[in-house]
Amino acid sequence: MSAELGKALQAGLYPNPVLSYEAEQIGVDGPSGTSTPGEFQGGVVEQRFVTGGKLRLSREKYLRRARVSENLAMAQQFRVCNDVRIHFYKTLAASDILSIRREMVKTAEDSAVTAQESYNVGQSNRPQVRRANVVLQRARLDVLAAENAYNQAFRTLSTLVGVPLCMGMVEGALESTCPVMSFEEAYGRLLAESPQLAAARAKLAVDQATVARENVQWVPDIVVRGGAGYNFEAEETTAVAGVAFDVPLFDRNQGTVRQAQADYARQRQEIERVELELRNRLAMIYQQYLTGMQHAQEYAEVILPELKAAYRELLESYKERRVDWPDVLMAQHDYFDARLTQVDNLLHARTQEVLIYGYLLHDGLMAAPDITPPGHIDSVPKPR
Amino acid sequence: MSQHESKPNSSERRRFLKTSALAAGGALYGGLVGTNAAAQVHANKMTDMQHGDKLPAPLGNPKSGRPAGYRDDYDGFSRFKPSRGNDPNSEFYLGKLVPGFRDVGAGPAPFVTPDLEKLPWKMVGGVKEFHLVPMAVEREVLPGYKLNVYGYNGSMPGPTIEVNQGDRIRIVVTNELPEDTSAHWHGFELPIQYDGASELTQNLIKPGKSFVYEFDIHEEGTFFYHSHIPMQEAFGSVGFMIVHPQKVFDPPVDRDLGLIFQNFFIEPSQSIADSWRMDWNWQTINGRSGPYTTPLVVKHGERVRIRIMNFSPMQHHPIHIHGHTFWITGHEGARIPHSAWVPRNTELVGIAQATDFEFIANNPGDWMFHCHMVHHMMNHMTRQVGPRVRPDQSVDAYLANLDQSPGVKLLNPDPGFKTPGYPQEMKGMEMKPDFMKRIWNRREVQGMRAMWPMSVMGLMTVLRVLPDDLYQIVMESDQPVEKGAVFAEIVRRFGNPSDYKSAPMMMHDMS
Ligand SMILES: [Cu+2]
Repeated sequence: MSAELGKALQAGLYPNPVLSYEAEQIGVDGPSGTSTPGEFQGGVVEQRFVTGGKLRLSREKYLRRARVSENLAMAQQFRVCNDVRIHFYKTLAASDILSIRREMVKTAEDSAVTAQESYNVGQSNRPQVRRANVVLQRARLDVLAAENAYNQAFRTLSTLVGVPLCMGMVEGALESTCPVMSFEEAYGRLLAESPQLAAARAKLAVDQATVARENVQWVPDIVVRGGAGYNFEAEETTAVAGVAFDVPLFDRNQGTVRQAQADYARQRQEIERVELELRNRLAMIYQQYLTGMQHAQEYAEVILPELKAAYRELLESYKERRVDWPDVLMAQHDYFDARLTQVDNLLHARTQEVLIYGYLLHDGLMAAPDITPPGHIDSVPKPR
Repeated sequence: MSQHESKPNSSERRRFLKTSALAAGGALYGGLVGTNAAAQVHANKMTDMQHGDKLPAPLGNPKSGRPAGYRDDYDGFSRFKPSRGNDPNSEFYLGKLVPGFRDVGAGPAPFVTPDLEKLPWKMVGGVKEFHLVPMAVEREVLPGYKLNVYGYNGSMPGPTIEVNQGDRIRIVVTNELPEDTSAHWHGFELPIQYDGASELTQNLIKPGKSFVYEFDIHEEGTFFYHSHIPMQEAFGSVGFMIVHPQKVFDPPVDRDLGLIFQNFFIEPSQSIADSWRMDWNWQTINGRSGPYTTPLVVKHGERVRIRIMNFSPMQHHPIHIHGHTFWITGHEGARIPHSAWVPRNTELVGIAQATDFEFIANNPGDWMFHCHMVHHMMNHMTRQVGPRVRPDQSVDAYLANLDQSPGVKLLNPDPGFKTPGYPQEMKGMEMKPDFMKRIWNRREVQGMRAMWPMSVMGLMTVLRVLPDDLYQIVMESDQPVEKGAVFAEIVRRFGNPSDYKSAPMMMHDMS
């Protein structure tokens, strides 16, 4: 943005006058017959007078480019923030998963002990005891994997924040507190507020200014020069004056104008493309968001309470000697397992929600995009 | 004697007996009661009673124990002490034809079905008319355990129909089930159109509709009625139908008791019986499970008849009575001639069979009376694994926080697990206080050992043979009786008190 503002300043600066010393026809014979230092020795001032409002148009163009940059900067900010948010939730989820996995190891340990107990009363055999041990070892491996996943999530979060965080806990809730948006609402919000779209629209204004600017490029600047000096041949002080300008006979900047017009035309399509692309991405993200929300809600309101109630009822039945302990353990496992799934549901819903509320922007560690698409006219050293 | 005696709530007769006894001086109960204040002190003492190895204070009046003027010895068989007699061919061998105290001329002893009602009737044009209503019923088989089953007139099993040989009866069956049904009069030799064998002999009775069965009774003995839709049978649709003989069965009995054995399958946390199951996890006697089955309380020396009817859908029951040898005197088909009676300790009663047991209650005590199938001696067998068999673990720790497991030691630290097969004894039985309150809140169980409910489960009940004075305290008074006191008194009188250890108290608030 600052670069563009600099360019705007530079492009609007009036050309400096040129001071020159001129010596002409050095060695010409003077009236005395001797060679003189020249016919003319003197200083000349030359000033280019810019016409057609070129400077104003250039400045305007770069100011508009600065506005594009502003929008792109905002987009980048959202990318970074969304990344941090999403990874915060990922870390939170990893932490929840780890603690549930640790509970599930206890279930597996209980099953292994139960298998030994059953073995002792002749109600299970060696292979069944071995299988219970295998289930236990697998549950332990799951805990190790969950620990590793948590560490990785924490490190990624630390990287995204850009500050080293010491390993610890993250606090927060995975449950969403934002209202569920309809697709039309979400899309309307994107159309009205997306920084990407705003940048594309601002870029159209730039391209419009570029066309205006290139349209006046052929209007010849007038270069006026004048000065005074000494004519050694005439042995008197003389003056010089001159006016110069291009005669736009061949080069009326037609090519560049055409290129600028093409850019302008392209940008108008580009806005539409960005709108369509946003809609397309929103369509995918929204369905994932909706699916995630529906799952999370159904798990929270029906599935988890039902599984928990089933587990409680079986515990109570066991207490009254009405069911076998393995039935209770199975219910406990089912309940804990569904809680794992719910962490996934919540994380899924939360991730998509961050994207929807954050204009679908992510990947903040990638370089921010440039104002201009590749191949765009942007090639004059002096910004114009 | 009346049927009321087995019902704890119909206390009219008991109140009469009690007040007349108190009016007579109150000495009848010996050390047990005198004034209200004494009873109060006694009740307080009860709650934290610990006798250690000593017997509780004497109870009752031993001198009033035996009715006077009755013959005791019958050819070596004594009605008041365990005995066989001198000769297996004697008609008094094992008490075979030893009469009860009741006079033959007094007619048949009243038929009593603990925990079940009788179906009332009225005379209409010289015909005994009954109204039987098949309906869906909720039956509380244990305190707090209600079953959804089918039965009759609000009861499962249905109320007992009691008639006399030679009666003409009319039974108006009004179907309040949501589905068709019919009523079959099992064992009766009746006109075919009233047999109730659904489509074979009649159209089914539609919901809300009635069908009138009317026939003459020429049989006598133990019969029953039931729905002739198989799954309705499995769902509980049955009831006793007792026909008293014109010529009273000889020798006369003092007690005529009826028990219907049934079983059901009921899932945990479920109250609706599953009539399709091939295995059965709930056992009931007259619609109740042990220890909620009502003990059969009889007096020392009485002749007792117990009619057992097995209406389990899939299981035969070998039925065993402790402490006595009984004679098989009849099946559902007919009374057996004396010459064919068989003495037994255990009798297999098959599905849809009824068997009459008769014996002289000559051995006082609280006697186990049960089906001998191990898996029928409890409800819903469960495996001996989990917190129940682990030291220092309880289900409550799991219930305290359902989101976390309290965890477990990786080897069961109980040293018993070094022995293959351990444990076989059921571990960690828990009985809730309000459950125990309901169990104990019945006269029939007063004075039994404190721990008795732990051993009477499923298809089990108790035969209590009590000396007359103890019988009166238990059954004809409202006085509180210390747990174990009646039992200890019997040990004192008939056993070896020096060897006796009283039961530990289960819990304080259980009386
Ligand atoms: Cu049995």
